[in-house]
Formats: sequence, structure tokens, C-alpha cells
Amino acid sequence: MARKAKRDLTMEEQLARGPLDLPFLMLVLFLLGIGLVMLFSASYYTAYRDPNPPVSNNPYYYIIRQAAFAGAGVVCMYIISRINYQHFRWMSPFVLAGAVFLLVLIYTPLGVEINGVTRWLKVFLVAGPTFQPSEIAKVAVVLFYAARLCKRDTEHKKRFTKRTGLGRTLNFLERIGFLELVPYGAILLIVAILVVFEPHMSGTILIAVGAAAVLFVSGISMGWFVGLGSLAIAGLTFIVFMTDYMTRKINIWLDPWLDPQHGGFQPIQSMLSIASGGLLGRGLGNSGQKLGFVPEPENDMIFSIVVEELGLVGGFLILLLFALLILRGYWLALHARDKFGMLTIVGLITLLAFQVFFNIGVVTNLIPNTGISLPFFSYGGTALMIQLAEMGIILSISRQIPAPRKD
Amino acid sequence: MRGPARRPAGRPVRKTRYERGISWAGAPTSATRGSHSKRSILKRTLFLMVMCGVVMFIPLGWKLWDIAIVRHDDYQRMANRQQTLDYAISAERGNIYDRNGNAMAMSATVYKLILSPRELVASVSKKDEEGSPLDDEVYKAKVAARQDRMVEELMTLVPDLDREKAVRQVHATNNAYWEVKTNIEEEEAEVLRAYITENKTSYYLYLMPDTRRYYPYSGLAAQALGFVNSNGGAYGIEAVYNDVLEGTAGRVVTTRTAGGTATYNTYAEYIDAVDGYDLTLTIDATIQSYLEKTLDEGIKKYDIQDGAFAIAMDPNTGAILGIASSPDFDPNNYSIIINEQLNAGLEENANSIFERLKAANTENLTDSELMAKAKSQAVSDAQNTQWRSRAIDSRYEPGSVFKAVVLAAALEEGVVSESDHFFCSGSAKVADRKIHCSDRNGHKDQDLTKAVGNSCNPAFMEIGQRLGKDKFYQYFESFGLMENTGIDLPGEASLKNAIWPKEKMGPVELATASFGQRFEITPLQMICAFSAVINGGNLVKPYVVQSISTGDGTVIQNTRTEVVRQVISEQTSQRAADILEKVVSQGTGKNAYVAGYRIGGKTGSSEVRTEQDHILVSFMGYAPADDPQVIVLLGYDRPLPRELGVHCNYIADGTYISGGNMAAPMAGPLIAEILDYMGIEKVYSADESAAVDVSMPKVTGKSLADAKKELEGKNLKCRTIGEGDTVSRQVPAAKTSIPGGSTVILYLGDAVPEESASVPDVTGMTYEGAKNALEKAGFFMRASGVSTYYSNTTTAEGQSVAGGNVAAIGTVVDVHFYNVVEDGRAG
Repeated sequence: MARKAKRDLTMEEQLARGPLDLPFLMLVLFLLGIGLVMLFSASYYTAYRDPNPPVSNNPYYYIIRQAAFAGAGVVCMYIISRINYQHFRWMSPFVLAGAVFLLVLIYTPLGVEINGVTRWLKVFLVAGPTFQPSEIAKVAVVLFYAARLCKRDTEHKKRFTKRTGLGRTLNFLERIGFLELVPYGAILLIVAILVVFEPHMSGTILIAVGAAAVLFVSGISMGWFVGLGSLAIAGLTFIVFMTDYMTRKINIWLDPWLDPQHGGFQPIQSMLSIASGGLLGRGLGNSGQKLGFVPEPENDMIFSIVVEELGLVGGFLILLLFALLILRGYWLALHARDKFGMLTIVGLITLLAFQVFFNIGVVTNLIPNTGISLPFFSYGGTALMIQLAEMGIILSISRQIPAPRKD
Repeated sequence: MRGPARRPAGRPVRKTRYERGISWAGAPTSATRGSHSKRSILKRTLFLMVMCGVVMFIPLGWKLWDIAIVRHDDYQRMANRQQTLDYAISAERGNIYDRNGNAMAMSATVYKLILSPRELVASVSKKDEEGSPLDDEVYKAKVAARQDRMVEELMTLVPDLDREKAVRQVHATNNAYWEVKTNIEEEEAEVLRAYITENKTSYYLYLMPDTRRYYPYSGLAAQALGFVNSNGGAYGIEAVYNDVLEGTAGRVVTTRTAGGTATYNTYAEYIDAVDGYDLTLTIDATIQSYLEKTLDEGIKKYDIQDGAFAIAMDPNTGAILGIASSPDFDPNNYSIIINEQLNAGLEENANSIFERLKAANTENLTDSELMAKAKSQAVSDAQNTQWRSRAIDSRYEPGSVFKAVVLAAALEEGVVSESDHFFCSGSAKVADRKIHCSDRNGHKDQDLTKAVGNSCNPAFMEIGQRLGKDKFYQYFESFGLMENTGIDLPGEASLKNAIWPKEKMGPVELATASFGQRFEITPLQMICAFSAVINGGNLVKPYVVQSISTGDGTVIQNTRTEVVRQVISEQTSQRAADILEKVVSQGTGKNAYVAGYRIGGKTGSSEVRTEQDHILVSFMGYAPADDPQVIVLLGYDRPLPRELGVHCNYIADGTYISGGNMAAPMAGPLIAEILDYMGIEKVYSADESAAVDVSMPKVTGKSLADAKKELEGKNLKCRTIGEGDTVSRQVPAAKTSIPGGSTVILYLGDAVPEESASVPDVTGMTYEGAKNALEKAGFFMRASGVSTYYSNTTTAEGQSVAGGNVAAIGTVVDVHFYNVVEDGRAG
């Protein structure tokens, strides 16, 4: 496709060629760089000690793969950032449909089982690296919600006949805003059910968080959030107190030393690791806890190794970078050219923020174990790629932010 | 470009469902759903921004701070504990050599085979080959099969393993450490190592290095050497010199992985191990073996019930050449009771302990529990008995051996002299108490030398009386009998209440003490005091460790002789030694006589604490008498009398129970053997050289007169058989070694000697009788056992070719002579 001359571009197209937000891009790349270095440090020993294929005692196994995916992810991010994000409006139903289709595929023999749970598919279905369709579902749900909810202002409320009971009920439901929520709820329910039975609780939570954020910002009545929120809390409390498994899990969260060998092992090791770092850390590569004490240090618990090696100062610095990235994200949302862009960014950034919170919360034993990985740090090639693709979407939206008027 | 955003805000052209009249569809109203103002959306976004970008990080930051700073020390300590590998590098324990550099104790690396039954279970995969989880039952069956196979494998690897124990241990799956076999030598370890590598069992079945103490001479000098248990040196030299031998263990402190592998980094700390020093003893393995052999022979020969002891020392320096106690043990397997008597007595002791426990059963234990307790108590008693060094850690009444000390004191004080005469009527009265001499008929008149030679009690009671209580006590003390010798061996017996306090010592006490009864000292003290009597008057401190050296031979410390004090003058010592020499050449020590060596000594038969039928027979001998090089104390505790409870003085084979009859005949050859070994040449006296072996000259073909002349020159007599002038044949053949003074047979003319003849039985005969009887039959006699001073009580007690057996004519028959001695036992 020959490149059009600038004078032939429509206003739309000119906007889409605007500059992407450099601070956001730099923060992403910065975190990605630190993440790769730390992944190498954290994974070296584990890989070296793992005799099973495909690792086969190759200490570079994880870092090489992660770096390759990071490279591909950055390219992917750039390409997506070049796409005029308005196209995502019409794409969103298809993306969602595709995501649901992939989630359904998991329940076929194509699903890949790792550690007793089936959450993965192969990229080429029968071959290639594995990925989690729930990662795609997260983006799909956010995009679809944003694409629909941005039109709330132009969507008229409906009035039903008052002659029938059904009509009167519908009128009532329309008035409290329930009818509007029905399609969103249905979609969320379908996706959530597909994910939760993989089983993948943490994925479900994140999808719900993304959806809720978009709904929240788009102006859905606070009453729904308060009501559904309290219902969820009540249900959770019920489960915690009524099932031994959950009660036990909560008790171990409150005092990991109740069961230092099994349930409490991971939080204890993670905390010992953080404590070993102290203020300034033991130095890059010098973690003692990664030598088999912290389980799978290249995965969810990577942040504990980061603090051990870089100290509290390094840990805070990384938290600061994440905070800046999140704040910049919301800033971009606030300045987005239209409501679709805004809602999309809010959904994606809130997802990112919650992932960071859940991950570091678990590492520091602030919250019970959920099994959520740390964006840009934890090992997982396809997840990293999808994460970077999400950043690409945000960058694409950032291109169309009108430049501030110079006085 | 067609984008959804560009669609006009109004309703689509197509009729709505409402317009088409579908009843449940609603009609659009003018109100839009997003009725909120932009302001509200902005507020909500800002709210999320603050929540997600700031507020959420506060608890995270706080929690990180809490862990990394506030609880840093606690957690850091825990992390260090699990990450630190702190292990000792064992220092090589030093070796112990005898005086000639023969290793008596050495350390070597061995291995132990460890099985972790817990890891064995873990080694069984919970999944099948395709990776799907196994059923519980299938898995259990798989584990059980693996365990059964492990037992079989262990039985093949370690054939002497107890199968029942192996089965039990393999199934003790909570256990992670079972020592399958210890003390595995390198050769066997290699086989096991190959197996471990081949089957990749190293994480549940593996070898661990260990050190083992070897005692190449096994039981030799066992009590002196002691042994090493898990806490280090436990007995003997191993215990006293533990610090020297042990060295200093090194240490490595480094980080480790969860798997336990050490990781080496700059934090690691290494402290090298310092190997232990080697010890060179004064003990001579050969002399020690002579001592132990003599003890064993004597115990068998005299039916000894309570063990025996022997010490060989250099009387001038105090260097212990050998020290032995029986029963003994093998320090390589120190807890095994090897002595037959101890083993035989185990059950009886267990039974008596059982009775005692049962009588005082406060814990209401069952009989079987009590019996088990009693048995282990009996075994541990027996172990303690065999580990004890009697010569040091137990006291005894020295008996007549002590008379040498009294003699020296009396000579030094000038209260007696060689010309003094004593009369013994068979008993003496001291303060209304009649004390018998060993010879109830009395020794009658005797000079001092005779009195010592006879070991006459009344004579010594008189000497003691002349010496007086104060002087006696003073000498007792200065001969070192009131204090421990200070030898570098553990467990010298306490001397508390060993002798009466001076004020309580009356005439009766003084009298009995003068012949060595009713007070106790250790055998080691006795030999030191006796040494002072004969070595020129110096009491020396005994020692066993000559030098301490590093592994490369650099001597760190060398022991020098320490003279505690001069007790008597050199002249007195010389006089006492002359008298004591006669004890062996003419007196009660006669049975210790060995031709060619001038042996001095003193016999002793001590009653043990007035116990009935309990006599400790002993002999103290030294040689050469003019320049003592070695002094030996030999003691046998409780020869079993033929009949118990009737003051029977004979053991089953008719030997009279006394030091002169039992200890002396064992000590004589022992001392001779030691002197031989030390390279001290025999010097014969005129009498002795007469009986010294000579080489038979060739006299055949010579005239009878020439032959006779030649034989005379060789100190041989002859008798002739046949008629003629020329010697045609001779018995024995030329160059045969026969005792001097023997009568050879010369055949004249056609006379032909018999090929062989029956050897006459000479036991019970006197010296002359035996000699004649043998020579008449065509044999020669070589006498041994007592000095040339033969009295009519000297009789042959054994011959090398038993009576009635046929032997070649001219055979030299060794005949052992023996003197019945009744030496100074308290009446």
C-alpha cells in the first residue's frame, strides 16, 4: 500500500499519525528492561538445575525465550500503536467472539494441561508455544465493553407498554438501569464461567476487574457496584467460613508458620527473601533464596528475588515506575480523543494496576495467594506479548490526543 | 473510511421492533442512558486513577518496609539458617607408635552406607509413563514393590545384613537416616559407589565418609591405649592425650542451595583443620606381647579367677615398657567381651543383678523387663572390667614383695645389717596376737639374706619393730606410696583409706604392714617403690608417652625422666639389691631363675582383705642384678584352690599357691625373654657355664684316650660300650649341642648303638636322679627352671619328651625343675 501524501489524508488519518506518548512508552520499555534482567537473575539457577526437557539444564533457557518474546512483543506493540484505534470498535465483537471460541477450545482435547490445570492452547493449536486464551479474553472484554459503553450518551432509554405486567416490569427494570446491564452481564457470565472452570480463579477475577472498571467509568449507577460488591463479599465470606479448604488457606495466610512446609512455604520463603534484601539488597545476582528456596522464582514470586537483590530501594523504585505508568495511563485516558479511547485505556490500565497489586500483595503476604504474575517481570512469553500488545493499544490511543494549544 | 463513531446519532432508518408492533419491545425515549454528565465520568476516572496509581501502592510499600526493614533481623536470621552450610572438616587424629615406631593406633578413612527410607518412597513417581496421576492403590503397590526390591538389593550389597532389620528399616518411611553399614573399607566402598552411580540412588542411598580408629595389634596394650568412641578418646592414652591426638577440626561456613549443595562465594569462610599430633610411647610392642602371653599362660596354668596384671618398666627412667591387665579387649571392637571367663560369668551376674533388682522393684517392672535390665547391666559391668587397667586403677595388698621396701628402709636407717640373725619359730607374738609364718615349722636361725630369701614373716615383724612406726611411716611416704605416681595414664586409684592414719597404727598394724599386708597400694606404686630400692635409691615418675611429634616427625615435646626424690642412698640400694638377687638364686624366687641372667626379685602371696581362699600371687623381678635394665611385676589374682573353705593351699594340679610357685616360674622366662629381646648377653657364672650347652666334638676314629681328653676339654664325661681302643661310633653325633657335664657314649670296636629307646619318666626325681636316669637310657638332660643351687626340694616337674615315649638315642630332653616354696604368707 503506497503511503498517502499528507495532503490526501483525512482529519482522522492525520490524527492517527500523531506522536505516541513518549513518557508512557519509556516507562513500558524501562520496566520491560528491568524485568528481563531480573528474570535472567531469578531463573538462572532453576533452569540450571532442571534436567527435564525442554530446559535440560540450560541456564539461559528462560531468558532466551523471554527475550525473544519481548522483542516480538515490542514489534507487536509498535505495529498496534500504528493502527488507528477506531478500527477496534468494529473489531471488538469479533475479537470477543474469537476469545470465547478459544476458551471453548480449551475444553476440547486441544487444551494443554500443565500442573493439573488446563488453561493453555498452543499458538498453532497443534504446535507452537502455549498461551492462555483468558489473556485474550481480558482484552476482548475490555474492548467490547468500551466500544458499546461509549455510546451510552446516544443510546435512548426505552419505554414499554404499561398495559401488561411484563411491560410494567420492564419499565421498572429500565428505570433502575438493569436492562442496560443485561447484555454486559450475559457476556461477562459466559466468559467468566468458561475461565473459572478451567479452573482459573485469578483469570476470572482479572476479567471481572477489567469489566467492572469500564462499567464504573462509563457511568453505571453506583448502586449496582455497591449491591453486587456486597453480594460478592458476603458470598466470599460464606465460602471462607463454610469450607475447610478455604478456612485453612486463610489461616495460613494470617500465619504462614502454621504450616511452614506446605501451605506456608511459599509466603515464608518469599518474605525471607525480601527481608534478606534489607535496604540496599545483596546485589544483582546474589540472591540466596533463588537457589531452590523460593519455589519457581522466575514466576509469580520474582518480585521477592528482585527485592532481595536490589533491596527495598530497588523494590520501591520498581513500584514507583509501575505507579508512574499507571498514573500516566489514566492521564492518557483523561485526555483521550473520545470516550471509546478513554474507556479502553481505563480498562487496560486498571487490569495492569490490579495485576501489580495482586502479585506484590501475594509476595508480601498482604493478601492470600492468588497466582497472578507480575507484568513485564514474570516468565511467560505469550503473556508478555499480549501485555505489550495492550500497551500498543494504549499507545495507539495516545497518538490521537490533540496537542495542547500553544498560547 | 467507515467507522462506528461516524454513524449519525439518530436511530437507524430501519423500523424498530417497537414500531413494528412487537409488544415486549420498548419505545425509545428522549432520555439517553448515559445521562450522567461528563463531570461524573471525569470524577470516576480520577477516583480510579488515585486508587490504582497511589492508594493501592501504600499497603504494598508499607508491607515491603515492614518485612525488609522492621522484621529484617528476624527473617534474615531464618534465611541465613536455611541458606548456611556450616560443616566441620575433621582433623586427622594422630597415630600412636610404640617405642620402635610400630603403629599401635592409627586413623583411616572409611565410609558408612546411609539409606533414607523417606526419600526412597519419594523416588517412586506418582505418575505413570504418560504423566497422568496414578490411583492411590496402584501407587502404594508401586512403593511396596520398590521397598521390597530395595531390601533385596541391600541384602546383595551387604550380605551380612540382618534381613528382618532391613525390612523393618526400609519400611520406616518417616526416617530419613539409617546407617545400613558402617566402617566400610575403600575396596568395598568402590563396589557400592559403582552401584550408586549406576542406579542413580544417590539421593536415598549414599556413602558418607567417616574415620575409623585402627589398632593394628588388636588387643595388645588395650587398656593402656584405650579406645575412641563417638565423643573422642574414652579410655587410656586415647583419653589422656585426646586434645593432643585430636587436632583442631576445621570449618567451612558457606551458603548452600535448597538441595544442600555448597555454593562458593566471597562470604564463604574456610578454616583449615589442624591434624592431631602423633605419640611415641615408651611401650614396646614386643615386650608388651611377652607380658600378655605370660599373663594368659599363667591364668590357664594356675586356674586364675580374678584376672592378672603385669608391668615392665625401665627402673632407672620410669619408662613403662609394657603394661598389661587381664581380662583385656580388642579396642577395634571395644564393646565386645572377648574374655572367656567374663563371658561365662555374664549369665550368673545377670541373675544376681536380677534378684537384686527384683527385691528393690519400685517401678513395678515385669520380670522380663527386669531381666533385660539386669542383662544389660551385667554386660556393661563386664565391659568396664575389661576396659580397666588393673595395674593402675585397682589397689592390692602387696604382700611379701613389700618386704624389699622395708628391707631398704631398715638398711638405710642402720637398724639391720647383713650379719644380723633372726630366729623363726613358725610364729611370733605381737601384742597378744600370734602371727604365723608361712612355714609353720619355722625357718629357725637365719641371717638377714636368708630371712629375705625365706620371706620370713617373724623376721620382718622384728625388722619393722626395729624401724619403728614413725620411720616406717616416713619411708612409706617417701617411697611414694601415699600419693599417686602421676603416670600419664588415666584412672590411678584413689588412695583414700589405703593405710591406717599414723596415730591409729599400733604394734599389730606395724607388724602386718612390715610384711606387706592390711594396707593397699596400686601395682604401679609398688613397682616404682621397688625400682627405687634397686636403682640407686631414686623414686622416678613412671610415664608411657616418650614424645609428641607432628605428622612429619618434628618432635614437639619429649618426656624426660623425672626423679621425684632420692629415697635411700646408693650404697643402701646396692646392699638391698645384693640381698634380693639371692632371693632368686637361693630363696623363694628360685623358680624365676634363668641361667645366664642375674635376676633379682621378691615373691609375694597376698591375702586379699582377709577373704577366704583369695590369694594374689605376685613376683617382682629385675635384671641384670648388677645393672638393672628392666623390672617386671607380675601378679595373678585368686588361683582357685582345690577345695574351698578349708584353707587349702593347693590348686587342682597340686601346685602350692604362692608367688614363688606361680608368679616366679612365669616371671623368670619372661624376664629372660625381655633381656634376650633387649640384646643383653647372657653371662654365665662358673656353676652355670658347667651346664651350658657345648658342641659335641667328632671323636670317632680317635683313640679312647684322645677322645677322653678332648671331651674333658669340652666339659663332657663319657662312658664306653664295647671292646677296643678306637672309638668307632659316638652318641650324640658330632656338632650336636648338648648340655655341659653330660655323659656321652663312645662305642668301641664293633659295638653298634641302638637306633632309639624309650625315654624314662623323670618327673618327681631330683636333679641328679633325673640326669642319671636319662643318661643311662642313652639320652641327655638339659635342665631349666631353677638355679644351680639345687636343694633336695627341687624336683623335675616336666620333660620335653614324655616318659614312655620312644626317641632317637642321643636326644636332648629338656627337663624343667621346680622348687616348692612357701614364701611369706601371713599366718
